[in-house]
Amino acid sequence: MDKANPIGPAETKALREMPAESKGFFNKQRKNDTGLNTRPPSGEKSFFQKLLQQKALVFMSIPFLLWLFIFKYLPLWGWTIAFQDFKPAKKIFDQEWVGLKHFTFLFQDEHFLRVMRNTLAMSFINLVLGFVTAIVLAILLNELRNLMFKRVVQTISYLPHFISWVVAASIISTALSSDGGIINELLLWLGLIKEPILWLGEGEYFWGILGVSEVWKNVGWNTIIYLAAMTMIDPSQYEAAEIDGAGRFQRIWNITLPGLKPVFIILLIMNIGNLLESGFEPQYLLGNGMNVDYSENLDIFVLKYGIQMGNFSLSIAAGMFKTVVSFILLFTANHIAKRLGEERLF
Amino acid sequence: MNKKFWMSCLTVVMMVSLLAACGGKDNQTADNTPAAGGEGEKKEEKVTFTYFNAAAGKDKNTNETTIGKIFEDQTGVNFKMEHLVGDENTKVGTFIASNDYPDVIVPGNSIDKLVGAGAFIPLNDLIDKYGPNIKRVYEPYYNLMKAEDGNIYFLPLSAVVGEYTSAPNIEQGAFWIQRRVLKEAGYPKIKTFDEYLGLIRDYVKKHPEEGLTGYLALTTQDKFFALTNAPMHLAGYPNDGGIIIDMETHVANDYADDDITKRYLQELNKLNTEGLFDKSSFVDNYDQYLAKLTSGKVLGFFDYRWQVGQSMNNLRETANASGNDDLEYMALPIVYDENIKDQYLDPPSFVNNRGVGISVSAKDPERIVKYFNNLLTDENQVLSNWGIKDETYSVDENGRFYRTEEQITQTNTEAFRESFGFKYFEYNWPRYGNGSTLPDGNSVGAGRQPEVAKMSYSEPDKKLLEAYDIDSFSQLFAAPDDRPWYPAWSIPIDQGSPAQIFTQKKSDLQRKYFPKLVLANPAEFDRIWNEYVGEFSKLDVKGYEDLITEEVAKKIANAQGQ
Amino acid sequence: MAKTSDSPRAHARFKSPADRIFDTLNIVFMICLMVVTLYPFLNTLAVSFNNATDSVKGGIYLWPRDFTWENYKYVFNEATIFQATFISVLRTVIGTITSVFCCAMVAYTISRPEYVLRKFVSIAFILTMYFSGGLIPNFLLIRELGMLGTFSVYIIPGLIGVFNVIVIRSFIEGLPEGILESARIDGAGEFTTFMRIVLPLCVPVLATVSLFTAVSQWNSWFDVFLYNSSYTELSTLQYELMKILQNSNSSMNSGNDYASQFASSESGANQVTPTSIRATMTIVASVPIILVYPFLQKYFVQGMTLGGVKG
Repeated sequence: MDKANPIGPAETKALREMPAESKGFFNKQRKNDTGLNTRPPSGEKSFFQKLLQQKALVFMSIPFLLWLFIFKYLPLWGWTIAFQDFKPAKKIFDQEWVGLKHFTFLFQDEHFLRVMRNTLAMSFINLVLGFVTAIVLAILLNELRNLMFKRVVQTISYLPHFISWVVAASIISTALSSDGGIINELLLWLGLIKEPILWLGEGEYFWGILGVSEVWKNVGWNTIIYLAAMTMIDPSQYEAAEIDGAGRFQRIWNITLPGLKPVFIILLIMNIGNLLESGFEPQYLLGNGMNVDYSENLDIFVLKYGIQMGNFSLSIAAGMFKTVVSFILLFTANHIAKRLGEERLF
Repeated sequence: MNKKFWMSCLTVVMMVSLLAACGGKDNQTADNTPAAGGEGEKKEEKVTFTYFNAAAGKDKNTNETTIGKIFEDQTGVNFKMEHLVGDENTKVGTFIASNDYPDVIVPGNSIDKLVGAGAFIPLNDLIDKYGPNIKRVYEPYYNLMKAEDGNIYFLPLSAVVGEYTSAPNIEQGAFWIQRRVLKEAGYPKIKTFDEYLGLIRDYVKKHPEEGLTGYLALTTQDKFFALTNAPMHLAGYPNDGGIIIDMETHVANDYADDDITKRYLQELNKLNTEGLFDKSSFVDNYDQYLAKLTSGKVLGFFDYRWQVGQSMNNLRETANASGNDDLEYMALPIVYDENIKDQYLDPPSFVNNRGVGISVSAKDPERIVKYFNNLLTDENQVLSNWGIKDETYSVDENGRFYRTEEQITQTNTEAFRESFGFKYFEYNWPRYGNGSTLPDGNSVGAGRQPEVAKMSYSEPDKKLLEAYDIDSFSQLFAAPDDRPWYPAWSIPIDQGSPAQIFTQKKSDLQRKYFPKLVLANPAEFDRIWNEYVGEFSKLDVKGYEDLITEEVAKKIANAQGQ
Repeated sequence: MAKTSDSPRAHARFKSPADRIFDTLNIVFMICLMVVTLYPFLNTLAVSFNNATDSVKGGIYLWPRDFTWENYKYVFNEATIFQATFISVLRTVIGTITSVFCCAMVAYTISRPEYVLRKFVSIAFILTMYFSGGLIPNFLLIRELGMLGTFSVYIIPGLIGVFNVIVIRSFIEGLPEGILESARIDGAGEFTTFMRIVLPLCVPVLATVSLFTAVSQWNSWFDVFLYNSSYTELSTLQYELMKILQNSNSSMNSGNDYASQFASSESGANQVTPTSIRATMTIVASVPIILVYPFLQKYFVQGMTLGGVKG
């Protein structure tokens, strides 16, 4: 978030410096978005007329809307399970209806608030760290002059993405170990600490450890999309800037960053909708009794009381809760983006 | 433009339908295999049924194994075995939701769901008609096997036949100690926890420069019970699963807040203060734990043998190479006080919430029952467990079964166990339970035959046994008392029920407090303990204990045939 | 062609001392980054080539201590692996092509500002990112559609990734409006515009999205588990590897289930351990897909031709 603000004014500056024709796509959105809202007074009829006019587009959408309905919306009948004590053997109407029992179980658990705090904190840390590191790395990669070197770095930096969390967590535990783990050895060697720290035994460190681990594992992978976005920046802008005598930092600030902005905003909005999904594998694998106050998140709670107990109803209830929160966050974020005149999701 | 668009649309549609069609074909061929078998009624005709095991394993046809081929020759039945890969509840949930089951199912903890869903057919009549051997093996346990409606829905895997033999080696829990500690102390016979810790303390004191760890505990994720079970064993009870059943009153007691737990944690706390306890015990993962045991720096720990197998194997290899067994471990039956009788060895245990069932989808249950029946002859049990005479086992002049060194090596190889079929038939079928004995006195399971155990002892093992004046490692342990309810952990607890939620909450609480207690400043110990007990008593302990007490009473009554 | 045009600023640039310092620091940083990100892979590789029993000791870092092929032999021992690899490749190739094409089509329609259903379609798709009906309803749906035990479950249920649609859309919206306009003036219909103009211009983003899709296709095993687990001929590499891993796990015993403890307590020693098998399968499963990236990399610079089109 912090990062988003300074880009704002910079972007307008960049726009001013841009060749006229490419300004189009930044503004276009704002102008055209009202297509649906500003119906002529004739209303309905005009809508269908338009529909008829655009039948090519409509035909291109219909098969996929059908697909969407069948594979995504139809299974939503499953949400009824959240209000039952679901037994797979029974028909849907023979199930025992229990009202909000599973929701109450979830919300009234004494740890619910702590679980929510952990979920949001870890998500937020991952969100901020994830965006900042990916964008910075993408820019630094883009500044490399040697093409071969750039490609090698890129390929290697995304390798950890392919290591499963089980393997990654084991490497992390080893690195953090209090007997001979590299982190402790390094800090001892630098004289920053006097005796090894039990990193995973101190709850307060957990969010940080997790955030850094996520970055380590995914930063290379996350840059891919920004690198692709950079290819869309018109090289003539750089040339023009160079002629104007803009330094490297100015070029990054005024051309590269604004070029990444549309993708950044879109990803940000989507990820804000996902704030309750902080993952469960790393938390499960690195979590232990000593850091449980900081490591237990919603997904782990559901894993313990829903999935591992075969309680489908609780899992679905938790899923519904997440969906509701996601929608609220999503629409809010989208609305804010709209207000700020930024790119938006819909 | 429209033409092109339509053409492309058509292409997409065709591609999609083509894919579906391709798949459809696959579907048919695959479906045919079991169906073709099910329909043919001629006894001689070969049939293939489907078999699902909710444990991991390599999928195979039984007739692709040596043992399975023999069974197919005898019965004409082959099973296409499928094993579980992901989450059991999910898989079984899909079976139930679609009411479409494999012919034979060996579930894990989802068994109550399957029974509740009516997935299994009642076997009573089929056994009476086609299963004389099944009846012979299981009849003594009928009362424990019957569901509330009086039907038998699955055949458990642990019906002991003949005399009960304990395992010659320690397969379950024990306090382990490094052999060099015993050696240096002159192989003392020790019994109490104090003596055990005393040995460790002395050794560390005498070897201060070696960077030794006195005691290590395993606490990671689903292995936390290795920490919480220790007090139960120290108090002289077998592994009933986190609960103690009184021998006289048969009342269940959750000892999580009892003195025996407090005492164990307090001892660990003392060790920690003295610097003998490895603090990392509470953060290490399983691999790190095993690595520490393998490093040779750890003098003692409590755990179950099957959890530390990898380390033991490694230490054994090193010892074999060097001829020095100093770093290997020996299992000791440690209890709190002199007058407590240790109960580490499992009593005969009838696990009545696991077993093999025939599903309602099976088209020809009769032949499956006959196949099961055929498995339960003495000869076929020998085949499933020992294999083929002079190939995988030998018989001495007294008729005792044994295995030569080569045979032991061969039958321990994973690949061989799979191709021969031991891996499949040793356990997950109707069988003579662990500890069963043949009429000629041989153990049904090769692992429990003293001759086999002896063959696998190394020279240092033999010396150690000699020093303690015993023939096998389990002789140091007391014989198990009879506990008709054993194991209490097989008492079915409904998934998602209050009792199950209680056990989860209890475990959450212990995970949080036990590290605090062990690592606390000794002066703080009592305060934290009281805090923990306060939290614990908020949970519905009583409800859980009552449920177990009630079920134990039922089990005892059933076992006594009332 | 890529080599010369890739870095537009590389040519004829005045290098200030600050530039040099920046470049040096940047290179140093990149080298550090490579060390940190290459390590897990090298470590896994080392473990996969190390004797399993020896690995229990820990302390394997960059090089195997007790070299062996046993872990790989164990993994490749199963004949099914090769058939499964074929299916994996097939689903990755077909799944990626169909999915990316369909995503691009949806993205194109909702990028058209004048399209009346634009908002409706966008929201209908986007919302699905945040909910799911749950496992059982999905399973029953697939079953009702007769797709159990078919190859199509690998392609059709995941045909459209909404995330990918959105990413492609934002790129299409970034295309200079003039290009699409001129196509329309030439009389091209929507579909032709999409095929002839939009798709070629979107190569960089399509390459990105293809990578995302290919990786998730290659790695997925849950759909095999749920829908096709009893159809061995449709099994995939990841699923077979999962099986091998869990198999080695159970022979070593995970101990979650008390009853299974009895099962293996009587069986003997093993030559492999879950840890070494996991390392081996990580290598076996990830090397093929990792190799895809360098090939896709060259498409990331094709957007440069954009300038040409514009001029």
